[in-house]
Amino acid sequence: MAGICCGVVGEAAETSSPIEPTSRPSARRSLDLLPLKYIAADVSVPPLENSRKRQRLDRRASPARECDNAVHSSKSKVVEVVPNYSSKSPTLDSTSPTVVEEYPRYGVTSVCGRRRDMEDAVSVRPSFCQETLSHDKKLGFHFFAVFDGHGCSHVATMCKERLHEIVKEEVHQAKENLEWESTMKKCFARMDEEVLRWSQNNETPSCRCELQTPHCDAVGSTAVVAVVTPEKIIVANCGDSRAVLCRNNVAVPLSDDHKPDRPDELLRIQVAGGRVIYWDGPRVLGVLAMSRAIGDNYLKPYVISEPEVTVTERSEEDECLILGSDGLWDTVQNDIACKVVRMCLNAQKPPSPPSSPRREMAVDCSDKACSNASILLTKLALVRQSSDNVSVVVVDLRRT
Amino acid sequence: MLLLQHQQTHIYIAPEIFFYYKFKLIIIMPSSLHFDRFNPITHAATTVAIANGVNCPKQPQAPPSSTAARRLVVPSLSSGRGIAAPDTVALHHAHVVDPNQCCSIVTQHINAPVSAVWAVVRRFDNPQGYKNFVRSCHVITGDGIRVGAVREVRVVSGLPAETSTERLEILDDERHVISFSMVGGDHRLRNYQSVTTLHANGNGTLVIESYVVDVPQGNTKEETCVFVDTIVRCNLQSLAQIAENRTNNCEHTAQHC
Repeated sequence: MAGICCGVVGEAAETSSPIEPTSRPSARRSLDLLPLKYIAADVSVPPLENSRKRQRLDRRASPARECDNAVHSSKSKVVEVVPNYSSKSPTLDSTSPTVVEEYPRYGVTSVCGRRRDMEDAVSVRPSFCQETLSHDKKLGFHFFAVFDGHGCSHVATMCKERLHEIVKEEVHQAKENLEWESTMKKCFARMDEEVLRWSQNNETPSCRCELQTPHCDAVGSTAVVAVVTPEKIIVANCGDSRAVLCRNNVAVPLSDDHKPDRPDELLRIQVAGGRVIYWDGPRVLGVLAMSRAIGDNYLKPYVISEPEVTVTERSEEDECLILGSDGLWDTVQNDIACKVVRMCLNAQKPPSPPSSPRREMAVDCSDKACSNASILLTKLALVRQSSDNVSVVVVDLRRT
Repeated sequence: MLLLQHQQTHIYIAPEIFFYYKFKLIIIMPSSLHFDRFNPITHAATTVAIANGVNCPKQPQAPPSSTAARRLVVPSLSSGRGIAAPDTVALHHAHVVDPNQCCSIVTQHINAPVSAVWAVVRRFDNPQGYKNFVRSCHVITGDGIRVGAVREVRVVSGLPAETSTERLEILDDERHVISFSMVGGDHRLRNYQSVTTLHANGNGTLVIESYVVDVPQGNTKEETCVFVDTIVRCNLQSLAQIAENRTNNCEHTAQHC
């Protein structure tokens, strides 16, 4: 029986360099015209921007030097390989007829945008954890996360490097008694403790900013984490990043932003003895514009690191999952984001009938579609004057 | 007229206890009278008021402290003998407060000698040495640490501010007094002026930082004090950790010499 065995997917970096729009119209396939027109009609992107955007997308494939505006896509050109991650990759027995491995298809875009510093971080760990159902049947869990740092970038960076490993350890410890809500809460608490322990050491911080104080109590990060299994989507959120599921043409929020003026958050803060002051928007003690975060030790116990967890059963109607920082969601509504992604996925429908070589092409098209979708969402946020870093992860949930 | 407010129920406050409680120092003066910090009459009255722990009548314009705000006060962990020179505090922490302004004071005890703490505090050109919310600082006028110098501070992300332009008003290496005012920047704190003084307290140091600032439109005096107190307290706690670590490192090094 023919099957696709997924190898290790390293992170690859591409960048869209800005170019002048050409005075002569470039040749386009009729298939490409449809999505652009749809975007223009729906989101009011001016035609000149359309042309420029099209040019950038066409040049996306060419490699460019690394910079803050990074575009990551699975199975793209590999720029760097993470040795530890490679060595941990599972060895698949391709001769076993019962091996079922679902291939994760995703696209990532993370840009500095109009802010001076890049403090977002994205973590994508396909098949980061294996659940053993029987001695020869393994199902992969996939980890996707967006971290939006504030004060500095090192808390978000630590989360990117460590949180998936903490989740893996906790899932293994739970074994058959896996209960996702308590597991994720424990993981976030452990991550917060690691951040606190690190800031209490006298080590020199490894971030590149000019901060010199070794006691970084005033640095923190949001964390929106999605674990995708064959049966479920688990989302754990802490802060004001967000996860949205596109199901049967409808945007289903899987997380609820932790803003200080959310009624239950406002009450929790007041009961803890803190207060929310409107100072350029609602802020805890007038300082921080979110009510939950990893780190920010100086604002505890008002700002806590406990996540809100949702567990969603997967369905045949699921189309995609979108994770984003508030740089995206402040300017792009959930339903518009879903429309953009659905359009990109549909524009890359694989030709039928599927066979072995064409199935590979279908996978390539899907990865490209997810990457296109993440790029389009990012550009849409920037066009709509988003003033923050923008990070987007798009996961194709359709079953091929 | 000098008015003192405090949050304790008992009337008499001993001098050594006085500085461990949060209080607000408000001076109401006729606009026609020019305030001179060396005015002997005012100076004497202030000294007498503090030395005697007079329970002054409550300032009618000041709102009562809320339970939430009271809980934010972090008491000093250790007690020590009283401050030998209360007149120094009165002299430097007496702020002229307009009706649309508020003022407050934050204290921090540090287990490190005054010299170690002062070495960090006096660096007007390097506030990120102990202040948490400073990303970078560049002196744009003057040579760095002289009265009249102006620095441009860039604030870290996540806060409701981008930059702050600040002028050095007082730098007294003998009496350990430093003061700066905010003369510009992208923030909502107008006419902000702060004074920080250090006082020997046994083997340690008592840091007192007071400030006066306009109340921004749309906010109350209490809200403004909660916001600024949070920033100042965070900075002073960071200062304590840094000075204490430096002192411990010096002692550790000395043992091996």
